Amino acid sequence: MNIASHLATSRPRAWLFRLVLFSLVWWLLTDGATASWPVAVPVILIATLLSVRLMPALSWSVPGMLLFVPYFLWHSMRGGVDVARRAMHPQLPISPVLFDYRFRLPPGLPRVFMANIVSLLPGTLSVEIDSEILRVHVLDEAGDTRQELALLENRLAAIFGLTLSFVDSEGQH
Amino acid sequence: MSFTDILTVLLLLAGASFFLAGTVGLLRFPDVYTRLHALTKADNLGLGLMLAGLALQAESWTVVARLLLIWVLILLASSSVAHLVVRTAQQKGIRPWKR
Repeated sequence: MNIASHLATSRPRAWLFRLVLFSLVWWLLTDGATASWPVAVPVILIATLLSVRLMPALSWSVPGMLLFVPYFLWHSMRGGVDVARRAMHPQLPISPVLFDYRFRLPPGLPRVFMANIVSLLPGTLSVEIDSEILRVHVLDEAGDTRQELALLENRLAAIFGLTLSFVDSEGQH
Repeated sequence: MSFTDILTVLLLLAGASFFLAGTVGLLRFPDVYTRLHALTKADNLGLGLMLAGLALQAESWTVVARLLLIWVLILLASSSVAHLVVRTAQQKGIRPWKR
């Protein structure tokens, strides 16, 4: 696909948003140094072009995103404290197990985003994204992994403005 | 030493202790999967605490924003890399350690 036809088919809002975002990142990194403009302009344009080609336009909700920040900070803290405690504990209290979680989120970015976040939350590490399944490595099988992942998935659905299919307490469709 | 300076020192020390715990986990945990748990989570929290300590000393808001940007980019990189390492381990047939 050439650039012109791509411009025509993709959503202009995604272009504009990413152009502004990358410009802001560059401005932050260089502290607004005007001498870097000859490099900045092509780099920002290439980054925008690549991002729109590699990652389709996606709608996301600002309130969902804002609500996610405190949740993420709190659970990152819990995750760090939990693993640090286990590492320093004389008996090394871990009991790892692999756990398969069935996605309710649609394929694409929401799933990749979830896999990334899962690795930063307490006691879970994404091993594989396999068609409908997220395989996670759990540090301690005692925890309720299914429920933690389901709660995370609800939060992510709120960010992307999605409604998840109904799931009973066993996590089955 | 002002109150802010004391807070910075405390945050830096707390951050360093999480880096230490992450490294202890890297050495003590039994396999690649459990070791990456220690690295991703403890180091990310350690880094977050250190950047928070440094942000208190920042002279302008752009410095704070830049520290935040560094944290977010490193979170993204470390969770992606951890995932790629354990996925490769699984595809090579390395079984997770069991108690």
